[in-house]
Amino acid sequence: MEESLGTVERPPIEPLRTDYHLEFLTSEQLNLVQQATLTILETVGVRFPSEKALAIFAEHGAQVDWTTQVVKIPPDLVWKALATAPRYFTLGARDPALDLRLEEGVTYFTTDGCGVETVDFETGQRRNSRKADVALMAHLSDYLSSVAFYWPMVSAQDFGLTAPLHELEASWNHTVKHVQSETIMGEVPARYALEMSTVIAGTREELRQRPPFSLVVCTIAPLVQDKDGIEGALVLAKAGIPVGFLAMPTLGTTAPATLAGAFAQGDAEIISAAVLMQLAAPGAPVFHSMMHAWADPRTGGYVSYPLDSRSRFAPVETAHHWGLPSLGGAYGTDSQRVGDWQSAAEVALDAFMVALAGAEFATGIGLANTYTLLYPEQIILDDDLYQRARYYMSRVDVCPETLAVDTIRNVGPGGHFLGQKHTRQHMRNSLKRAVTHQLNEANQYQDPHTYARERVSWILENHHPEPLDPAQQKELSRLLAEAGREIR
Amino acid sequence: MNHMETPALQPIVPAYHVEILTADQRAQLQAATLKILEDVGVHCPSEKALQIYAEHGARVDFSRHIVRLDPELTLGAMSYAPRFYTMGARHPDFDLRLDGKALYCATDGCGVETIDLSTRRRRPSIKEDVAMGARLADNLPEIGFYWPIVSAQDHRSTAPLHELEASFNNTVKHIQSETVMGEPSARYAIEMARVIAGDERSLRGRPPLSLLVCCIAPLAQDKEGMESALAFAEAGLPVGFMSMANAASTAPATLAGALVTGDAEIVAAMVLIQMAYPGAPVFHSLLPGIMHPHTGAYLGSAWEGTILYAIGVELAHLWGVPTLAGIFGTDALAPGWQSAGDAASSLLLIALAGAETGSGLGLLESCTLFYPEEMLLDADIYQRVRYEAAGLDTSQEALALDVIQAVGPRGHFLRHPHTRTYLRQRAFSNLSGQPAPGGDYQDPADVARIKAEWICANHRPLPLEASQQAELKKILDAADKELGSSHSSSLDRRGVD
Repeated sequence: MEESLGTVERPPIEPLRTDYHLEFLTSEQLNLVQQATLTILETVGVRFPSEKALAIFAEHGAQVDWTTQVVKIPPDLVWKALATAPRYFTLGARDPALDLRLEEGVTYFTTDGCGVETVDFETGQRRNSRKADVALMAHLSDYLSSVAFYWPMVSAQDFGLTAPLHELEASWNHTVKHVQSETIMGEVPARYALEMSTVIAGTREELRQRPPFSLVVCTIAPLVQDKDGIEGALVLAKAGIPVGFLAMPTLGTTAPATLAGAFAQGDAEIISAAVLMQLAAPGAPVFHSMMHAWADPRTGGYVSYPLDSRSRFAPVETAHHWGLPSLGGAYGTDSQRVGDWQSAAEVALDAFMVALAGAEFATGIGLANTYTLLYPEQIILDDDLYQRARYYMSRVDVCPETLAVDTIRNVGPGGHFLGQKHTRQHMRNSLKRAVTHQLNEANQYQDPHTYARERVSWILENHHPEPLDPAQQKELSRLLAEAGREIR
Repeated sequence: MNHMETPALQPIVPAYHVEILTADQRAQLQAATLKILEDVGVHCPSEKALQIYAEHGARVDFSRHIVRLDPELTLGAMSYAPRFYTMGARHPDFDLRLDGKALYCATDGCGVETIDLSTRRRRPSIKEDVAMGARLADNLPEIGFYWPIVSAQDHRSTAPLHELEASFNNTVKHIQSETVMGEPSARYAIEMARVIAGDERSLRGRPPLSLLVCCIAPLAQDKEGMESALAFAEAGLPVGFMSMANAASTAPATLAGALVTGDAEIVAAMVLIQMAYPGAPVFHSLLPGIMHPHTGAYLGSAWEGTILYAIGVELAHLWGVPTLAGIFGTDALAPGWQSAGDAASSLLLIALAGAETGSGLGLLESCTLFYPEEMLLDADIYQRVRYEAAGLDTSQEALALDVIQAVGPRGHFLRHPHTRTYLRQRAFSNLSGQPAPGGDYQDPADVARIKAEWICANHRPLPLEASQQAELKKILDAADKELGSSHSSSLDRRGVD
C-alpha cells in the first residue's frame, strides 16, 4: 500500500487488453442463433406496452397488434434498422482524459449496480442501501484502475421515486469517470437525467459527442419490454446518449431450458429494442447485453453461477454478429455471505473469459448475493481477481535482457541471483503483489479481507476526486429539487 | 463391507485454445535454454548419471559434477521422447490416455499436516491420511489420478513406499509419487507397481505408477531423485521433472529468465532419461514462482504468477512431451475467498493452453496442509472450468424455436415438456445453492465438509485382490528391513496439535 498520506492521484484506467481471442461459437452457430432470433421477431413477436413505441413500429412497417401490443418485425426491417447502428462509440467522462473509446481488443469494466442492501463499512451491520453508499462507492471507484466507468452500486432508497436521479448526482459528485445508470425509467426521469448530463457535458452538442452518461434498460423475459424503460430510452437515444438493452432470460422459467434457446429469445428481446431506437433515432449509439441465469429446479430460485456456465460470454459474440458493441455480464456472485469461498469461486474466471470473448465493456465488480448486497471491501477483492486476469492476458516480454542468459551464466548451477545487478534492476517489477501477499507489521501475510478493509480506508482518506464546479453542483441540486416536485 | 463403484472420470476437454507465446517467442525461449545447457550446464551429483551423459557425448566435468550439452545432443535425445502415452490404472477404465485432447488433474501431494476430520484439529500427517485422501479421490470424478496427498510420517524413511501401499489399496486410479527418491526405494516401488500391473507387458503398456522428481534451482539435480528416475524409466514407468525456479532468488527476476532457468533444469533431466532409455515416457513440469521481496518466499499466485504455469505448458509441448501443469496450489490458510480465487483462474488458463495433466486438489497453506473438504471445493471449481471450456449445443432442439413460439410473450416455460427434459440436464453445483432451513442457502464449505465425511465413512473402492495385498505387504516388510524404517508410534491420529 502506498505510504504517503494526503491527496494521491488517480491511477490511469487499466482496461483488459489482449491479443488473444476465443471464439465460443462457430460462424455457423452464430448464424443459427441469429436466424432463430429473426424467426422469433417475425413469427412470435415482442410485446411493447407503449403507444409511442407501437406507433413508431407501425410507421416503419412492422406488424403491430394494438390490442395485444405485440409487434412482429420482418427480417428486412430488422436489417434496415440495425444498418444505422454504430459499431463503436465513445462514452464520455467528466474528465476528457477518462473518456472511453470503445474499440476492438479492449474491455472496460464497471462496478456492479443497483443493489438494495449494504453491509455498513463503519458498523458492519446489514441495512437498506442509501444515497451515501452510492457516493462512497463512486469515491472508491474513482481511484481503482479496474473501474473504467461507474454504475451507481446500490439504490438510493432514502430518496423514494427520484432515487435514480439522486444516484446520478451522488455519482457525478464523487467520480470523474463515465456514469451508466440502470435505474432511470420513464420519460420524465429520463428528461431530468438528460438535463443533468447536459450540465456535466456543458452543451447538448458536447453531450452528443462525449456523453458522460449512458443507460441500460432491462427487458422482461419472455419477449416483453417495459413501458417506462423503453420510453426513457427513446428520450435519451434521440439526444445521442448511449442506451443498451439487457436481457436476463432464466433457463427453465422465463426461457427454454436449453442455452441456445435462451440465447435466441434474449437476443430477440434486445434486438427488438435496438431496432426501435434506430427507427426513432437512426445512428443512435446502442449496445447489447445478455446475462442469462438458471432456475434452481428445487426452489425456482435465480442462479447466476451454476456449475455449467458454459458459453457464459457467447452472447458477446452474438452482439458482434449484429454489429453492436456488447456489455458483458461478469461478477455478481450468488453467495449470500461476504467474501467467502463461493464469492471467489464463481467469479474468478469472469474477467478473463469476458475479455477473451471481446466484450467492449463489462459489468461489474463489487456486489454479492446475486447483485443485491454491497460490501465495500468486496470491490477490492474483485479488483484483485480482475488484475490477475489482466496480467494473464498481457504479452510476456521475451528479449535478450529478460532472458538473462548472461546473468544465468554468472550465477551458474547451484548459486543464487540475489547479488546480481540484473536482479536489482528487475526485482522491483518482478512481483505484482496480490491482496493475498500483503504483509503486516510482523512480516506475515495479512488476511485478504483485513487488507481489503484497510485499502478501502486508505483510498477514502487519501484520494479525493476533483469536485464538480460549484455552479454545476448547484444546477444538479436545482434539477433534483424540481424532479422531486414533479415526480411523486 | 461391499465395495462401491468408482464414478467414471470427467476430464476437462476444452473446445477452445489459447496460444500465449508467439512462435518467435517460443523459438527465443528454446534457444536460450539450449544456450544455457551448452554454456552454463547443470550440476548433477550422481556418478551414474554423469557416466550416462559422458557416454552419450555430453561434456562432463566429473570433479565439479557439471554437465554441458551441445544443442544437437539435446535435440537428438529429446527426439526419442514420446509426445503421447498412457498412464495406466489398477482398473483399465481409469487409464489416462494422454492424447492432447483432455486434461486430467491429480490431487496435490506430500503435505505434512492434516485437519483431522473427526477432531477438526490440525496434526502431523500419517499413513491413514494417505488412505483417506485416496478414498476421497477415488470417489470424485474430477480426480484423474492420485498423488499421495500427505507424507506418511508415521513410517519414517520408508514413508514413500507406505504411501504407495495406502494409495493402491484405496483407489483404482493411477498413482503418481513425488517422494520415492533413491534407487533402493525406487526398486521397491517398481516391484509394487509390477504387483498391481500383473505382468511386464501391462507394466510398460499401462503403468499404474509414475514418478515426479523436483530439480533444484538454479540448474542442479538431486542425486537420489535422478537415480530413482533412471530406475523408473528403465522399468518403463513415466517420469517427470519439475522446476520451481523462483524469480529473483533462484532465477533471474525477469519472467523470461525464470522460465528458461527452470526449462533448462527439466530438459537436462529428460535428456539423461532419453540417453539411458530412448523412448521412455517423460513429462515436463515448469512451475516458476516469484520471490516475495520482503520474505523471500516462493509465490505461485502473484498477479503475474499463473501465466508462468500456462507458459510452462507451451514449453513442454515445444519439447514434444506432455506436461504436468501447476494448478490449485494456494497460500490460503483455510478454505475461503483466497483458495477459490487462486484455484479457478489458473485452472482455466491451463486447460485452454492444452495441458494433459495437472496437480493438485486438496491442499492449503502452500501445498502443506490437507483440508479434506478443500478437495471437494476444488472439485467444484474444476467442474466450473470443465463446463466453461466446453462448447455450446445449437441444434434445433436446443434452439427450441417451437417452444418459444408455444409460450410466446409474457408466458413461462415451467410446464413445457422441453423444460422438464432439459432442466434436468443442466448442471448445478452440489456445494453452492443448497437450500438451508429458513430459505437461505447453506455455506458451501459446510456442505463440502459433510460430503467429505460421508465419502470417507462410506466409499470403499474395489479392493486389491488378497494376493496382491499380501504381496505389497511383503515388499513393504522387506523395504522396512533393508532401509531401516520402523513405525513411528509417536505419530498416531492424536498426534501433535
